[in-house]
Amino acid sequence: MAISYILLFILSFISISRFLVISKAGAESELVADLLTLQSQSESGVIHLNDRTVSKFITSTKTPRPYSLLIFFDAIPLHDKSDLRLPVLVHDFALVASSFIANHNGSNTKLFFCDLEFRESQSSFKLFDVNSLPNIYLVGPDAESLKDDTDQMEQSGFTRLTESLVEFIESRTQLTVGPIHHSPIISKKQMVLIIGFLLIWSPFAARKIFAGETMFHNPRIWLSGAIFVYFFSVSGAMHIIIRKMPMFLMDREDPNKLIFFYQGTGVQLGLEGFMVGFLYTIVGLLLAVVTHVLVYVKDLKTKRIGMLFSVFVSFWAVKQVIFLDNWKTRYAIHGFWPSRWN
Amino acid sequence: MSNSSTSDLLKPFKLKTKQQELLIRVSILCLVYILAFITRLFSVLRYESMIHEFDPYFNYRTTLYLTQHGFYDFWNWFDYESWYPLGRIVGGTLYPGLMVTAALIYRLLHFLRFAVHIREVCVLTAPFFASNTTLVAYFFGKEIWDSGAGLVAAILIAVCPGYISRSVAGSYDNEGVAIFALLFTFYLFVKAVNKGSLAWGLASAFGYFYMVSAWGGYVFIINLIPLYVLVLLITGRYSMRLYVAYNCMYILGMLLAMQIRFVGFQHVQSGEHMAAMGVFFLMQVFYFLDWVKHMLSDTKLFQEFLSITVTCAVAAGGIALGVGMASGYISPWTGRFYSLLDPTYAKDHIPIIASVSEHQPTAWSSFMFDFHILLFLFPAGLYFCFKRLSDATIFIVMYGLTSMYFAGVMVRLILVATPAVCLISAIAVSATVKNLTVLLRSKNKVAQIGSTKGTSSAKASSKASLDQSQPFQKNGAMALLFGAFYLLSRYATHCTWVTSEAYSSPSIVLAARGAHGNRVIFDDYREAYFWLRQNTPPDAKVMSWWDYGYQITAMGNRTVIVDNNTWNNTHIATVGRAMSSYEDEAYEIIRSLDVDYVLVVFGGVTGYSSDDINKFLWMVRIGGGVFPVIKEPDYLVNGEYRVDKGAAPKMLNCLMYKLSYYRFGEMMTEYGKPPGYDRARGVEIGNKDIKLEHLEEAFTTSNWIVRIYKVKPPNNRW
Repeated sequence: MAISYILLFILSFISISRFLVISKAGAESELVADLLTLQSQSESGVIHLNDRTVSKFITSTKTPRPYSLLIFFDAIPLHDKSDLRLPVLVHDFALVASSFIANHNGSNTKLFFCDLEFRESQSSFKLFDVNSLPNIYLVGPDAESLKDDTDQMEQSGFTRLTESLVEFIESRTQLTVGPIHHSPIISKKQMVLIIGFLLIWSPFAARKIFAGETMFHNPRIWLSGAIFVYFFSVSGAMHIIIRKMPMFLMDREDPNKLIFFYQGTGVQLGLEGFMVGFLYTIVGLLLAVVTHVLVYVKDLKTKRIGMLFSVFVSFWAVKQVIFLDNWKTRYAIHGFWPSRWN
Repeated sequence: MSNSSTSDLLKPFKLKTKQQELLIRVSILCLVYILAFITRLFSVLRYESMIHEFDPYFNYRTTLYLTQHGFYDFWNWFDYESWYPLGRIVGGTLYPGLMVTAALIYRLLHFLRFAVHIREVCVLTAPFFASNTTLVAYFFGKEIWDSGAGLVAAILIAVCPGYISRSVAGSYDNEGVAIFALLFTFYLFVKAVNKGSLAWGLASAFGYFYMVSAWGGYVFIINLIPLYVLVLLITGRYSMRLYVAYNCMYILGMLLAMQIRFVGFQHVQSGEHMAAMGVFFLMQVFYFLDWVKHMLSDTKLFQEFLSITVTCAVAAGGIALGVGMASGYISPWTGRFYSLLDPTYAKDHIPIIASVSEHQPTAWSSFMFDFHILLFLFPAGLYFCFKRLSDATIFIVMYGLTSMYFAGVMVRLILVATPAVCLISAIAVSATVKNLTVLLRSKNKVAQIGSTKGTSSAKASSKASLDQSQPFQKNGAMALLFGAFYLLSRYATHCTWVTSEAYSSPSIVLAARGAHGNRVIFDDYREAYFWLRQNTPPDAKVMSWWDYGYQITAMGNRTVIVDNNTWNNTHIATVGRAMSSYEDEAYEIIRSLDVDYVLVVFGGVTGYSSDDINKFLWMVRIGGGVFPVIKEPDYLVNGEYRVDKGAAPKMLNCLMYKLSYYRFGEMMTEYGKPPGYDRARGVEIGNKDIKLEHLEEAFTTSNWIVRIYKVKPPNNRW
């Protein structure tokens, strides 16, 4: 009899503990399902968390959790601070998130991308001990304390967020992200529209071209375009665009002073480039003015003054550029004359 | 008496004005030809006849192979001395034009019984082709403007630093012959367009073939020429001459280019070549329309026909392109090409391209450094070209502007822009000087007006013939002429200085100024490579960072693990991992790669700053990119890279540190400084007691720049 009691006890214990396991698994799968619905509600697949959901998905669940969370810390009031580049980072983060979801066909339940906003979730920021932005934390399945057990992404990774984020995810979670799907510049609909427009427009254009009455037949337009391309190239505009150079710098010692010229080869500031580009261009432009406009001037005196003026300006421009170049590069260019000539 | 006899003697040599002019022109050209050659010899005179930099050593080695084994062996060469144990298929992964050219020159010289070494041929190939480029520039200038402009263009390009940077003696690289091929192809094509003859078209196709065989930059030609044709079509300059020239050049050029194995079917499949094909079909449509217009007398009927045909053609082209792209038959643009069109692309998407220093965008000072006053003359030349529009001037303007744009995107493309800038500036110089001298030589009676500089002086003078001759006109013209010559002489000075000081260092032999201002030469690299050649078994494998791979195989004649052809990132990362691990971990990797010797470059004694310790963070980064066990922060202290006492412990004990600073702690490098003072970084090193367990020092060069270690065999097992 006693044996049967014991057996019953054991049986009931097993069933109860199984029920406990099932209920725990049920709670976990519920959480995952919640996360999946939240993810599908968001356009980019980034789940927006707040203090309540942080406690629901992270702090009040038992470890190990069946998922990791990658959290981006955002603060909308700081979006207009250009040196933090928060909007760009938000966009990159969303791009990685949507690519990750698309590469796993939405069936991934191991990793979720989330963001937290400072004004709504100040206590969560405190939980993570986040004092500075931008910041990205990975909350692994076993993380108990949000301060100590979480992985923080290094600050150096934020300069090229998409690549370093992919590396970060792959090294810490052993999940593959797959290729990043950059959104095309032109969507398919626009493409169809453009092609249709081109088809309709092409016969008209062809007729005009055959008749020779478009603006492309006017050499002046080509000339001004050519001068523009020249100016654009030699002023280092590409340098400014690619490197995102500022137009000028503030002097650190004297905030009222502005620095327009940067000493050192291979680097330039915006206005500096445009000024020198203008100096480069002006000699040729003056020549055009002298031979094209000045000859029609009737008054001899004006003509002479114009001539002299353009000669001096050209001379000054050449001189100025050479001076600036020597100053910038610190090269002392000299001829190789016999030494007794000096 | 004697006077009259000499004049009698000279009578048969008395030349007419035309002959005199020809004589002067030819002698100027000869002088320019020699000038272009000798201005590139600074490095040979200052050091000696040797190959420069890194990549040229690979070219030199392949040329040597070509001359020793013949063309077919070269074509089928599988190189097992590099990328051990993977090897490299050489014949299919290079542009053979440069090597074949050098080998042909070598054969020719030997046929003429000049017993020169192939190295001398390789060293002098680039200056020789630079000289030839001046000739092409002369003929090109003559074709687009007049012979005066051609002469000036030849002079300008002979000394232009933008071109010299890649063509000094010893820089045996593809660009050396490619710029010649580029300009030659363009010249022949312009000539073909001007003449409309099949023969010139054929010649330009062969020029294009040579260019394709020499340099990957041929893509510029195959896109610029269609663009030019398209512009001519749009501006209503379509002609039979253009049709003949382009079709001949495109069809034959394509067939010839496909013979180069590295290009092959890319020429009809990749997106970069599609513009040429599209314009080819467009030409046929134009020709067809022209023919129909000729047959149909009714203009209204023709216009109806025109609209239908054009719609059909555009639709068919669009569908063909779409289907080709979708089916994968036409491959999309490569990243490098993309980064030229949308320059911000590379920065965001291709870090490898963005990190190379030659691919940086150009600042204004680099333009100034490489072009000097040509930059001022360029807009003036553009203006002259537009004043006298022809098919040829349109071509040079388009070439100049596109290449200028590309030069703004990438520093190294200044090279491609140089011939165009020289030609356009030459037009400005020539036209201006011509006008000024015409003014000077004209009789006072002829009425002129104040425009001393313009081309339109003749036209204007007829218009304003009532104007009295101006009193200071001749003096003004004289002053302006002097001004022009002053500027040009400044240009010559600048070019010579830049060539001598900036572009003529071989970087394999280092020069420094001694304490008394004398020149000190460090020849440690070659010392080390010859030591390898003489003292190691022929099948020894040498591990070093990839920068030195080409040089070790070419000069040391030993197998290397990685080299400058960075095609396998994992392999490079393995070497990076070995260098940044502890010695016993590194030993495992070294054993797995069968390495016998490890070579490091060290500048602590001489103060040479581009040594391996300064490149070490790249090894860590590249190694860590593939093997996450290597982490950059382990080697840094608070984000700072240090080698002194405060350095990170991992840094102080990694293989690279040990190999660089082995026995360095005992050495006095500078008076008044403690032993072990690193002159390249200006600190006393942190680990002076370095013991090596699995490697032993085999050789250290006289200035300690190269250090070679032998890998010990494994211990006996018991």
